[in-house]
Amino acid sequence: MTDQTMTPEERAASLEGMGCRRKRVEDVRFTQGKGNYVDDIKLPGMLFGAFVRSPYAHARVKSINADAAKALPGVVAVLTAEDLAPLGLHWMPTLAGDKQMVLADGKVLFQGQEVAFVVAEDRYTAADAVELVEVEYEELPVVTDPFRALEPDAPVLREDIKDQKEGAHGPRKHHNHIFTWEQGDREATEKVLEEADVVAEEMIYYHRTHPCPLETCGCVASMDKVTGKLTVWGTFQAPHAIRTVVSLISGIAEHNIRIISPDIGGGFGNKVGAYPGYVCSVVASIVTGRPVKWVENRMENLMSTAFARDYWMKGRIAATKDGRITGLWCHVTADHGGFDACADPTKFPAGFFNICTGSYDIPVAYLCVDGVYTNKAPGGVAYRCSFRVTEAAYFIERMIEVLAIELGMDAAELRRINFIRKDQFPYKSALGWEYDSGDYHTAWEKALKAVDYEGLRREQAQRIEEFKAGKTRKLLGIGLSHFTEIVGAGPVKNCDILGLGMFDSCEIRIHPTGSAIARLGTISQGQGHATTFAQILASELGIPASDITVEEGDTDTAPYGLGTYGSRSTPVAGAATAMAARKIRAKAQMIAAYLLEVHDDDVEWDVDRFVVKGNPERFKTMKEIAFAAYNQAIPGLEPGLEAVSYYDPPNMTYPFRAYICVMEIDVDTGEWQVRQFYALDDCGTRINPMIIEGQVHGGLTEALAIAMGQEIAYDEMGNVKTGTLMDFFIPTAWETPNYITDHTVTPSPHHPIGAKGVGESPNVGGVPAFSNAVHDAFRAFGLRQAHMPHDHWRIWQIAENLGLHA
Amino acid sequence: MELTDEIRVPAPRDRVYAALNDPEILARCIPGCEELKATGPGEYEAKVVLKIGPVKARFGGVVKLDDTNAPEAFSLTGEGKGGAAGFAKGGADVTLTEDGEETVLRYTAKVEIGGKIAQLGSRLIAGTAKKLSAKFFSCFAEELSQPAAG
Repeated sequence: MTDQTMTPEERAASLEGMGCRRKRVEDVRFTQGKGNYVDDIKLPGMLFGAFVRSPYAHARVKSINADAAKALPGVVAVLTAEDLAPLGLHWMPTLAGDKQMVLADGKVLFQGQEVAFVVAEDRYTAADAVELVEVEYEELPVVTDPFRALEPDAPVLREDIKDQKEGAHGPRKHHNHIFTWEQGDREATEKVLEEADVVAEEMIYYHRTHPCPLETCGCVASMDKVTGKLTVWGTFQAPHAIRTVVSLISGIAEHNIRIISPDIGGGFGNKVGAYPGYVCSVVASIVTGRPVKWVENRMENLMSTAFARDYWMKGRIAATKDGRITGLWCHVTADHGGFDACADPTKFPAGFFNICTGSYDIPVAYLCVDGVYTNKAPGGVAYRCSFRVTEAAYFIERMIEVLAIELGMDAAELRRINFIRKDQFPYKSALGWEYDSGDYHTAWEKALKAVDYEGLRREQAQRIEEFKAGKTRKLLGIGLSHFTEIVGAGPVKNCDILGLGMFDSCEIRIHPTGSAIARLGTISQGQGHATTFAQILASELGIPASDITVEEGDTDTAPYGLGTYGSRSTPVAGAATAMAARKIRAKAQMIAAYLLEVHDDDVEWDVDRFVVKGNPERFKTMKEIAFAAYNQAIPGLEPGLEAVSYYDPPNMTYPFRAYICVMEIDVDTGEWQVRQFYALDDCGTRINPMIIEGQVHGGLTEALAIAMGQEIAYDEMGNVKTGTLMDFFIPTAWETPNYITDHTVTPSPHHPIGAKGVGESPNVGGVPAFSNAVHDAFRAFGLRQAHMPHDHWRIWQIAENLGLHA
Repeated sequence: MELTDEIRVPAPRDRVYAALNDPEILARCIPGCEELKATGPGEYEAKVVLKIGPVKARFGGVVKLDDTNAPEAFSLTGEGKGGAAGFAKGGADVTLTEDGEETVLRYTAKVEIGGKIAQLGSRLIAGTAKKLSAKFFSCFAEELSQPAAG
């Protein structure tokens, strides 16, 4: 046989399994423009839906007159809340235990809210008809500030629940209050703060922004009136969860619903939730008996479907004189907009924000989050991060910097002396998490050495002298960030969404000729699942990755899973993949032993085959075993070679990273330039280093966007001021720096292959690195805290306020 | 958004004030004005087509004039609705100061806008509003530089 001539290493390499820089198989179609996105779907007789949206942020809807719109040739229907009410679909449940209007029911709560749904023969007619729908509004006072919203005389936003004293997450203390979520030990923390040598206090604002995926949200709903089966193609990050939700709210039996996520052009959390567009398209298809397509435009995407962040974080951090952190206190005012539609596991209304003790060994901590309604769009999704983890990372990494200022200490050294030590893992944090593994000191030393940290500080000191002497107008900022993420939600015992446990799944079928198909409960939106999951299987099963098809996103064929977000695909579905493969290998071992006429225990696994122990010339390859599984009657074994695994992770995974950003800042123009960015990621076992690097590049670029300019800003009237890409910052090649990537490997002890997840780490850790660089540039001149985004104007203002323009 | 400006009109104050109350002159000078009619003393109804960036819409609105201190000073308030394109409301304080044969018109206008037109970014809107008011006043000054009978 030919492969007898290959060494085991050569055979392993030929599989393109874990650790291989395998090229993305998806890119063959994407780079040719041959992807198949929702908007590429064209069905016979398909109609188009478009929304009439509110120009007001808060108003009563007095009347809706759709006569002129309905009279326009080509218009098939105009739906309003009145039409949906008899079906009970004018409101829908949100992922956060609240409910949300599908179409305005008497009032609107944010600008861009859906008021009526026009259905027409083509997109242009639908758009024209939208203009013809006359809506009479009565303006109401607008509240865009969450602190104002909680004042006693603030206008009542949610009239539907104004007398409700109990919400989905406990008592409500005001008509615009949603929930209070407390973690940790308040008494002990406040005692530590009182008695501490040093306490640094600061308000840190993480502004409202938006995931803004290249492809906006959309769907095609098609009700087959003959079979009674509803098929919905859509930009769904969690197709199975959407199927269950559609069934629960529509009353259509779940087996009669098929949800298909085709190619998705980026999700970043924006495509996790359920939106009025989906409900209206389904209803319109049922009413008209024809397929109905709805796709948002960019303005609609930015102003109505899920925003991210908007956390006001008040922090107090206590330390000894020599810099040992003794306690952390945090209160968050969380602006959730008009409806609480956050995408978080049910028991975590502020997500995993209680990871805010970060990478540090902090003995006591207390956290309290108050959710608040305002006249802004609903959402609060995890934009390229695990649930509220980027807010937590930004909070602690800013508080560390503020504490360093208070102590007059170097911020890198302050971090180093407070890191959780390697020998402390598994580490139980003061706010309740059990960190699985980590080696922070090694990563930190490696990072500091790689950038010549001492040298950079010397250069910075010299620059400050030159600036003071009038020789330069540019300052140098060194932005540090070390953060521990919490991803891979999650253990079913404490993680669910709408009661659905957050396990995930993989089903594998080995074909008679030794190739395979694997189906998963997740869905790629650009992460490259078809590439990496095949690599896990290649290593586990000894089948070349190129002989394995990975399929996701069709609920009629894929096993049930909770979808892709929060860096959960590799930690959860990746684990399911390995576990299902191991079931197959167990059966393959029995088949091999039968074929080799030895006992099961007398064969052992060797890359792509079972060999007889002590006699490696006698073996059966996976290819041979697969064929035997289908053509031999093996006593005691069923034919076929298939397996499925539903994996309930025992714990989250805790990837970490050390980032250093070196930034030049022009004091007179506020312009910035990233001179160097060093990113060390530890995501445990690395499946495809090239995809990891791509993920890091993409995540860092989104972090750059958020830190340096991207925001959803409102004026006092509740107008979205950043509703187009002219005002909403998306970095181009021009702004994007060259990133240096590096890594350490600390496997997760509880994950079958030791992998931890990486897609979101760079965004989580990148934002504080960029922001800290801006702050650090001005530290010598007295800057303590300046809110993001750090666009040129705001940086110029920092310099102005510090008197540097005099 | 606040706009202020000062324009010199080559006509005496009484004529300037009269012209500002003349629906025909106003209709000719307001950019995009399709219709303007007096609905009562000091009250007008107007239909105006506005184009701001990619948004073009017909605004219907009412304007009220407070002439307590006229002709030295007067103020205007109004609001207009453009359906899906959004809405605008605001007011202007205008003073007319005699300077020989000419009149100096000073105004401070406060405008609030909402909906799609507001979302296009304040930079674009401020520029457009300035351009439109400049267009109005240059047309207005031209109207008044014609012989009185015209």
